[in-house]
Amino acid sequence: MAEPVGFYTDTTVCIGCKACEVACHQWNALPARNGGEVPLSGLSYDNTVALSDVDWRHVKFIEQFSADRTQARWLMMSDVCKHCVNAPCLEVCPTGSIVRTEFDTVYIQEPVCNGCRDCITACPFGVIHVSAEKHIAQKCTFCYDRLQNGLVPACAQACPTRSIQFGPIAELKQRALDRVGQLHGQGASEAYLYGADTKILGGLNAFYLLMDPPETYGLPTAVQAQVPSRSVWPASVKAIAASLVIAFGAFVSFGRRKRAVAMTEGRGGPSR
Amino acid sequence: MNLELNTSVADPQWHGLIVWYFFLGGIAAGAYVMAALADLFGDIDDRPGVRVAYYIAFPLVGVCGLLLTIDLGRPERFWHMLIQSNTGWPMFKWWSPMSVGSWGLSAFGLFSFASFAGVLAEDGWLGLKRFSPLASRLRTGLAGRLFALGGALSAFFLGSYTGVLLTAGNQPVWSNTTWIGALFLASAASTGIATMVLLDRSLKLNIKESVIEHLEQLDSWAIVLELVMLAIMAISLGHLSRSAFGTWPGLLIPAFVVPVGLIFPLLVKRWGGTRAAETASIFVLVGGFVLRSAVVGMPFPLLSLTTVGR
Repeated sequence: MAEPVGFYTDTTVCIGCKACEVACHQWNALPARNGGEVPLSGLSYDNTVALSDVDWRHVKFIEQFSADRTQARWLMMSDVCKHCVNAPCLEVCPTGSIVRTEFDTVYIQEPVCNGCRDCITACPFGVIHVSAEKHIAQKCTFCYDRLQNGLVPACAQACPTRSIQFGPIAELKQRALDRVGQLHGQGASEAYLYGADTKILGGLNAFYLLMDPPETYGLPTAVQAQVPSRSVWPASVKAIAASLVIAFGAFVSFGRRKRAVAMTEGRGGPSR
Repeated sequence: MNLELNTSVADPQWHGLIVWYFFLGGIAAGAYVMAALADLFGDIDDRPGVRVAYYIAFPLVGVCGLLLTIDLGRPERFWHMLIQSNTGWPMFKWWSPMSVGSWGLSAFGLFSFASFAGVLAEDGWLGLKRFSPLASRLRTGLAGRLFALGGALSAFFLGSYTGVLLTAGNQPVWSNTTWIGALFLASAASTGIATMVLLDRSLKLNIKESVIEHLEQLDSWAIVLELVMLAIMAISLGHLSRSAFGTWPGLLIPAFVVPVGLIFPLLVKRWGGTRAAETASIFVLVGGFVLRSAVVGMPFPLLSLTTVGR
């Protein structure tokens, strides 16, 4: 087993250049949307809009304007699969297509996936989408082929500001904690790490340094992002209870009818 | 239970075919449950009704299998649900509702097929008349009772696991309650019985009037159970009920399913009159379909992500 690796993304130094998106497209040979004619979103300077089957990296532009538009604040965050420690997609995948690699990343084996889309219902980050061409689930592979050859993932390699950092998880966490300490020392007390501890799905191997609450970035809180298996037993117990109510009701009802027929016909009841 | 909506998820595009699967699978499961329970607790008078249920359960579950296969992105890989494509060993994850559901659906397929073949033999169809005594002997012995018990369990599973499947994820509303499985099961029971009654009346199958009345009574109980499950589900969602039942298509539940698909059939049964049973059954079936459409569609208006077209 190789050392667990991950991404540490420092959103305070992201400049929204989208070099990570381009590098991801290029290395993974992802096709362009709409045959290359990407329409303007009309809502933002960001025209990628969201992660999709062909956009495994997406630099979110969070544009905050005052009502009179004299004040503006932009937050930027390069979004990607979080390669969760307790990955919901991996947990529910019924074909065994989604696996954990020797690098502790989460990977979809394309020849196994049959496009059932259960992983999409499970992912709390909206990461996975079905390919319009291959008709199977698609997401960031963490450049598994590059990792196997000792290379840095394409997005981290291309990032010009080192907003996206790649490395062993333990080392990245220390680096991130040091950076939070530095920002706090500079008066930016709102800086914090999202997903670096075990509160969200046991930890995210792609974790973030954020300046605003998770919901500002369109990220779920620790309460909102849950492992699917947490509700299987409670839901099953309730379904079993309903089954017992129906079975017991039928037992009583059939018995009552048999007794009524027996009384009407004045004999011991019809035989089977 | 988590009572915060997570709107950052993507749309799995479980729409039309999945709604039909939930609906037809529910009918198959509900009808089979009633037939198996009649085999266990009923008498000879119930047999014509039981036969109707066994005649419809297997074809319906066959259609369900077809719907699910077509709905896959890669239908030719449907068998990956049951067999590991790289080793040939069984693929089973007890903690994944879809994996367990694939095996449960297969088990129900086997039970319903055996019951279907049994009634074909009993009625002498497809040249199976010579197996009629064997079928009757198997049905009435200890083996038959154990078979009915196993069939009932698999039908209970099929009627409810679809709701558990929706619950086990991170989609808004679905993942905020654990009552959808129980709700779907109650609906499966009522729609299954309604189908049996409707088939008897429309095809003149001559099921005894006392048996139909009994089925109608069981249907009324199932409808009341469904109303109770809906109320509990709404309570379990707390303040999220407004989002779940106040926006389209969840709005269909208070606006249509409860008054038209549940309460109206109860009243029609109570008023009686000619064609009351057929009328009530039709409304129960329409209500059952709309219920599933509404529950399956609940999360999608709440999603904040923009779908990127290609």
